[in-house]
Amino acid sequence: MFSRSDDNNKDNAVVIENISKHFKIPHEKKRTLFENVVGMFKGKNGYEEFWALRDISITIKRGDTIGIIGENGSGKSTLLKIIAGVLYPDNGTIKVNGRIAPFLELGVGFQQELTAKDNVYLYGAIMGINKKEITKRYDEIFEFAELRRFENMRLKNFSSGMTMRLAFSTAMYTNPDIFLIDEVLAVGDESFQKKCSEKFEEFKRDKKTIILVSHSLGSVRKICKKAALLNKGKIISEGECEKVISDYHELLKRK
Amino acid sequence: MYIFKYKELISNLVVSDLKTKYSSSILGFAWSMLNPLMMMIVLYAVFNNVFKSNQEHYAFYLLIGMTTWRFFANSTMMAMQSIVGKANLVTKIYIPREILTLSVVLSALVSSILEFIVLIILLIIFGVVISSKILIFPLLYVLYLPIVYGISLILASLYVYFRDLNHIWEVLIQMGFFLSPIVYPMSIVPEGYKFYYMLNPMTRLIEMYRNVLLYNTVPSVIDFGIVLMFGIFLLIFGSLLFKKLSRRFAEEI
Repeated sequence: MFSRSDDNNKDNAVVIENISKHFKIPHEKKRTLFENVVGMFKGKNGYEEFWALRDISITIKRGDTIGIIGENGSGKSTLLKIIAGVLYPDNGTIKVNGRIAPFLELGVGFQQELTAKDNVYLYGAIMGINKKEITKRYDEIFEFAELRRFENMRLKNFSSGMTMRLAFSTAMYTNPDIFLIDEVLAVGDESFQKKCSEKFEEFKRDKKTIILVSHSLGSVRKICKKAALLNKGKIISEGECEKVISDYHELLKRK
Repeated sequence: MYIFKYKELISNLVVSDLKTKYSSSILGFAWSMLNPLMMMIVLYAVFNNVFKSNQEHYAFYLLIGMTTWRFFANSTMMAMQSIVGKANLVTKIYIPREILTLSVVLSALVSSILEFIVLIILLIIFGVVISSKILIFPLLYVLYLPIVYGISLILASLYVYFRDLNHIWEVLIQMGFFLSPIVYPMSIVPEGYKFYYMLNPMTRLIEMYRNVLLYNTVPSVIDFGIVLMFGIFLLIFGSLLFKKLSRRFAEEI
């Protein structure tokens, strides 16, 4: 059984206990009722089981900046999606303290036909922020994205860089307590990147919790104080960033 | 309750859905009325001579039946795609997924109310007496909405797993259209089948809309009760099924 609840201990941001998740990968994907009925008669219903996470437990304290590293298929993204609430694990418990902003992908729910302004409100609503709150931060959002002049332009006329900047600014100014970030830091040109880094430093000072999944050990080093190493769905190392990164190098060497 | 916490997202999704549907213009709405009107004219031309003798105001009888039915048919067909069509909002971020289905149903509700407003104006122009019974009209939607939303939840969640459901549902909608008193008067249904015929809550609902708009009568309390029971049952069943199936939406989509 899986349960998800709010934590009462104010020191903890995310407490994960005994989370497991497996995927069934059918040999033959059945998408329709018709295929399912045919499959019943043929009797071919084989599937592979793939355990993305096995019995994961980790406590992330408030104000922690933690990088989750590991090879492809080690379960990093699955873990992040479970914390975000997108995936539903087989069992275990998750306790979350505060509001999560998932940066699994930027600009989720953006509508091309709407103006930048409408999209900011829509994106805010998706993040669970009310209109008043967005209006309060509206100017800051457009200042930060450097898109003041384009606020009434439709999104379909935006370049992809502009769209990403708008999404990033909106998401950052929704003022979440916990950031879940999946390799989306490479947004915009160098000066915008620099601004983002500064913003993240500010979040660290404000005791915001940042959980980062990345292949780039460089950005993990830069942003995170702590790290956790996942291998085949298990946490095999956890603690100070540098130590975990060297464990990761060990693991790669042994291959 | 997710409805209150995310009320702004819901209204945002409903408005942008309506904006795209009507392309932000009055003419867009006029176009959307053209389909039911043409359909009505065709059916009227075909059936008028058959049913004229036993049904007064046959054109309006037909139009009210069709407009009532359209809410059910349109809403369920569109709501079925509400999860799959917004895959990004399911796999990349967490929002209560019911919101996606609810906002499609509400957008169809707004369309339906607009259609009925046009219809009521036509009724007045053509001299059908509109009485104080019209005050019951909003109450009919209170009965109707849980039925539509309940079925929409069932369809939207099943469609994630069975992508040919839309073809099956299209056939069922066609059947339902002729198993409900839309084009023909109820008096032609043989007495022996009446009991089974009345099991369809749409039959009672369509007749209730006609009671209020055409016959100037108050629908019976029994009809109210039965339709309400159907609605509550479908809403609870739909919500439970949706809750269960939604756990694996992000994997299956």
